[in-house]
Amino acid sequence: MQLNKFKNSNVINMKKLFIYFILSVFSTAAIAQIDRSKMPEPGPAPEIRFGDAESFTLKNGLKVFVIENNKLPRVTYSLILDRDPILEGDKAGMLGFVGEMMTAGTKNRSKDKFNEEIDFLGAGISATATSLSASTLTKHQEKVLELMADVLYNPLFPEDELAKLKTQSKSALALAKNDPSTISSILSGKLIYGSDHPYGEVETEATIENITVEDIKQYYSTYFKPNIAYLAIVGDVSLAEAKKLVEKHFFTWKKGDVPSFTYALPTTPSENVVALVDRSSSQQSVINITYPIQNHLPSEDYLASRIVGQVLGGGGSGRLFMNLREDKGYTYGAYASVGSDRLIASFSAGASVRGSATDSAVYEIIYEIKNMRENGITQEELAAAKSNLSGSFGRSLENPGTVANFAINTERYGLPKDFYNTYLKRLNALTVEDVNAAAKKFLKPENMYITVVGNGAQVKESLLAFGEVKSFTNMGEPERLVAMDADVTPSVVLDKYISAIGGKDKLKAIKTATVESSAEIQGMKLGLDFYYDEGNQAFSNKVSMGGNVMSNTTLKDGKGLVQANGASMPLTDEQFEALKMTMFIFPEIHFESMGYTLEVDGIKDVDGEDAYKLIVSNPMGAATVNYYSVATGLKIKSESEGSGEVTYEDYKEIDGVLYPMKMITKSPMIPVPLEAIVNNIVFNSSIEETIFN
Amino acid sequence: MRKSALLSLFGVFFVLSVFGQNKIEFKEFTLDNGLHVILHQDNTTPIVATSVLYHVGSKNENPERTGFAHFFEHLMFEGSENIPRGKFFEIVESAGGTLNAGTSQDYTVYYEILPSNQLELSLYLESERMLQAKVDQVGVDTQREVIKQEMKEVMEERPYGSFQKEIPIRLYPNHPYKSPIIGSAEHLEASQLEEFMEFYATYYKPNNATLSIAGDIDYAETERLVRAYFGEIPKGTIEPYRPNIQIQKLTESIEDVVYDNIQLPAIFQGYLMPEKDHPDTYALNLLSTYLLSGKSSLMYKELVDKSQKAVQAIALPNDLEDGGMFLVLAIANMGVDVDDLNVAIDEVLNQVKTEGIDANDLQKLINIKENQIINSFGSVANISQSLAQGHVFYGSADYVNTQLDLFRKVTAEDVKRVAQKYLDKDSRVVLKYLPKPTDATE
Repeated sequence: MQLNKFKNSNVINMKKLFIYFILSVFSTAAIAQIDRSKMPEPGPAPEIRFGDAESFTLKNGLKVFVIENNKLPRVTYSLILDRDPILEGDKAGMLGFVGEMMTAGTKNRSKDKFNEEIDFLGAGISATATSLSASTLTKHQEKVLELMADVLYNPLFPEDELAKLKTQSKSALALAKNDPSTISSILSGKLIYGSDHPYGEVETEATIENITVEDIKQYYSTYFKPNIAYLAIVGDVSLAEAKKLVEKHFFTWKKGDVPSFTYALPTTPSENVVALVDRSSSQQSVINITYPIQNHLPSEDYLASRIVGQVLGGGGSGRLFMNLREDKGYTYGAYASVGSDRLIASFSAGASVRGSATDSAVYEIIYEIKNMRENGITQEELAAAKSNLSGSFGRSLENPGTVANFAINTERYGLPKDFYNTYLKRLNALTVEDVNAAAKKFLKPENMYITVVGNGAQVKESLLAFGEVKSFTNMGEPERLVAMDADVTPSVVLDKYISAIGGKDKLKAIKTATVESSAEIQGMKLGLDFYYDEGNQAFSNKVSMGGNVMSNTTLKDGKGLVQANGASMPLTDEQFEALKMTMFIFPEIHFESMGYTLEVDGIKDVDGEDAYKLIVSNPMGAATVNYYSVATGLKIKSESEGSGEVTYEDYKEIDGVLYPMKMITKSPMIPVPLEAIVNNIVFNSSIEETIFN
Repeated sequence: MRKSALLSLFGVFFVLSVFGQNKIEFKEFTLDNGLHVILHQDNTTPIVATSVLYHVGSKNENPERTGFAHFFEHLMFEGSENIPRGKFFEIVESAGGTLNAGTSQDYTVYYEILPSNQLELSLYLESERMLQAKVDQVGVDTQREVIKQEMKEVMEERPYGSFQKEIPIRLYPNHPYKSPIIGSAEHLEASQLEEFMEFYATYYKPNNATLSIAGDIDYAETERLVRAYFGEIPKGTIEPYRPNIQIQKLTESIEDVVYDNIQLPAIFQGYLMPEKDHPDTYALNLLSTYLLSGKSSLMYKELVDKSQKAVQAIALPNDLEDGGMFLVLAIANMGVDVDDLNVAIDEVLNQVKTEGIDANDLQKLINIKENQIINSFGSVANISQSLAQGHVFYGSADYVNTQLDLFRKVTAEDVKRVAQKYLDKDSRVVLKYLPKPTDATE
């Protein structure tokens, strides 16, 4: 039925469309057999042509660029502020709020009214701390410009909007702290630029809390000034018409003094620095090898630097990709970039690799950087990189806004007037020698930050091959090093813990226990009940939701079973071994008899508290890391690959024994930290045997 | 971060490209082997977009062998008689181009965007894989592994990604639309090389394909090249399977819970839509724009901005040849109960069903469509694909020029009527997405 219907309508429309048809009477005769064994040669390279922008400057200093392009009846107005980067300090995050706040209502229009008016026209207006832009069909441009001007001159900055933005921002931050890629970029930023540099500072919950509406108003009234602004008008509008509209809406915009800032220039480290953020729960390592460079559009070797980046690690045919993914299979992708920025840029090369390949991957990345610096690139690589870069240059011109960016960049960065007109010519004139000289300049294999976010126990030792390994927190701060007495052995730490929670005798007297706890996860209540019967070597954990048991893990008679969603799954020996430790109410008093290997790995800072780090390895080689407070002796945290991180808080005395009433689990398996609160705990409880079935 | 994850989740469905008012001129012809060719000249930028649309999607698969159409989206990059394995991407990149491909329930599309002096290269590459793609054991084994990783990424790791499986399987009890586009790992595992070869021989033939070229071209020269490269490809002789099944409407609503690796619970509602070219499809499309598009859209205002019950909400009219699915989804804010969220969504939908929309609202929706349509003409890649889709699904490539008129035919009353008729609470699927509970002993 369907098919017929389409066929019929086809015929009908075909008749109507007859006028468009090419009736190719001659062409059939002219077909020569093609040789498929050879790829066709490209035709002569097309001339890449684009018009220049018209420009004029208002008395208040606003520089206007007009790119007339009548292909489609649409137009965009983009206002860009050119100011120095700002160090936000204890208000870090404020700049990120400016745009949303500006478009949340004006003195003339409530937020709802503003949104309704702009949506009605099918148009869009958006803002950031350094821009305000509008796009619309030409026929609505008068009205849209009026709305844009209203945002520019009369923003309201409502309190409740700020409150909303703060809440959103804090939840995003909570997620970011647990995201290895974000941790990696925070660490890299702080190392390259330092915390006191606009490119290195990081927002925290505290700095977000500090932001007030007053701060945002202050920013707005200082920086939204015509004398530091460019206005690009692109699309279906003539210069004369644009002039008229600009005069109408931007003529009265008052100029003002805008402060400027300078910052100390970050430098490369004098030798390679290995920086590690230890996430014991990581299975992959995020590697980023990086350092600051000075490189920007006006730099003489800017184009050569782009070829260096392209050949070393641009896309799916770069050397890093071919080596680390295609050849070694360490990763899904490996890339490099040679950045460019007016103030200070950075080189970066990296990949997310499986944990066991971390040192090999670092080795290969360094090898590729060194190799390119020393031996340069080939003629073929140069040719492919040139095609690739000129191809994307050509495609970018399909968007008329590109030409506006060209004009603004030329003005803003003091580029030669023909910078973009000669872009392709200069690119194609580059020789292997030019690129090799740039490689020597920009690749600094002896002066790099080698950053790794991964499982320290697995990777730390092997990273020593690349230099001293310095440890950092997940906010990119150096980990505080605390000296530890040489005589601290595992048994010293364990004895202190055991006596802190009540002493060996009291612990040994506890043979059974029932622990009922609950957790809330996004509005859902979970019940987490634990049953221990050490005499019978039995253990059960039941997770319930709304009274229904969702999963039940039972360890009994040397075997383990997980029941969930109506299915049962026996545990493998390895899984059983890993879980065995949890079947004890106080695993520490059993470490010795179970044949675990123990090692104290110094004193670490756990959320501001000094703690002994104890690595507990089971006979099958799997490790759990426990942290015991130096001050109190209590266990405050544990980490393992399988379970993620668990922190223990709020110890209370039950029958003379201290037990944590709050346990917070963070794991890659669960999206948000799971906070379990103990509601009821009974030692030496009588537990029915059916519990363990 | 969360936002981008959610938006990209719709990558698998093709969001309908819109076409419209500014006239797109084109020429078309059909080769003797059945290949339909559409050309659009636009010399403003020296680039050319070449796309081949094969009229095969997941709905054409054997229900015991799901995932084949998508499998070919991978296999077609393996190379051909004359293109060495794994070189397809490199060839295009080092010629200064870029490429991509996509699979839907109804069709599969492959395209390259190249500098215009490389037009012939794109015709060579596309004709090679239409004539003699490498469908061999090595390629099948390699891509099977890659796709298993992709399944993990798309279905399991991507938050809420499993809706692409969970909604259709409930909404389409008797139609192949019930299978996810990516298919089943078991089916792919069980498939023999011969089955892939037969699928290739059935669907990847000129008489099941539309070649559409847009950009800086010369009409006569392009036609000459097309005939040279594609003319010699033999016509397919195996009759393609096209399901001829009246989709059964659910007799009562289905409500289920899905546990996923997510931070925030969510509601996914799925409703049946009419066939792709049915007039009501346009009204439903406008309805979805009314519910969720800009900041002034009804559901955004009510759920995201005012009550803040949702952090994000989307309405998606996924129109399909045999009958599409209208999705409404919302991700709950911290601490908001999903059932409350579902009630809140229903209240908004009820408002449209009872009060409808006024003339001003309708004008706004048309203005938004018009803007979208005109902006879609800003890219030759978009234009080439729109022309091909018009030809295959709407009976004429000129659909690109008439679509806005079809939207303009929709009345305010139509929007209310289709809300009542199709967003029917008694024949819908509602999925509650909840975070996967974890085993606390782990």
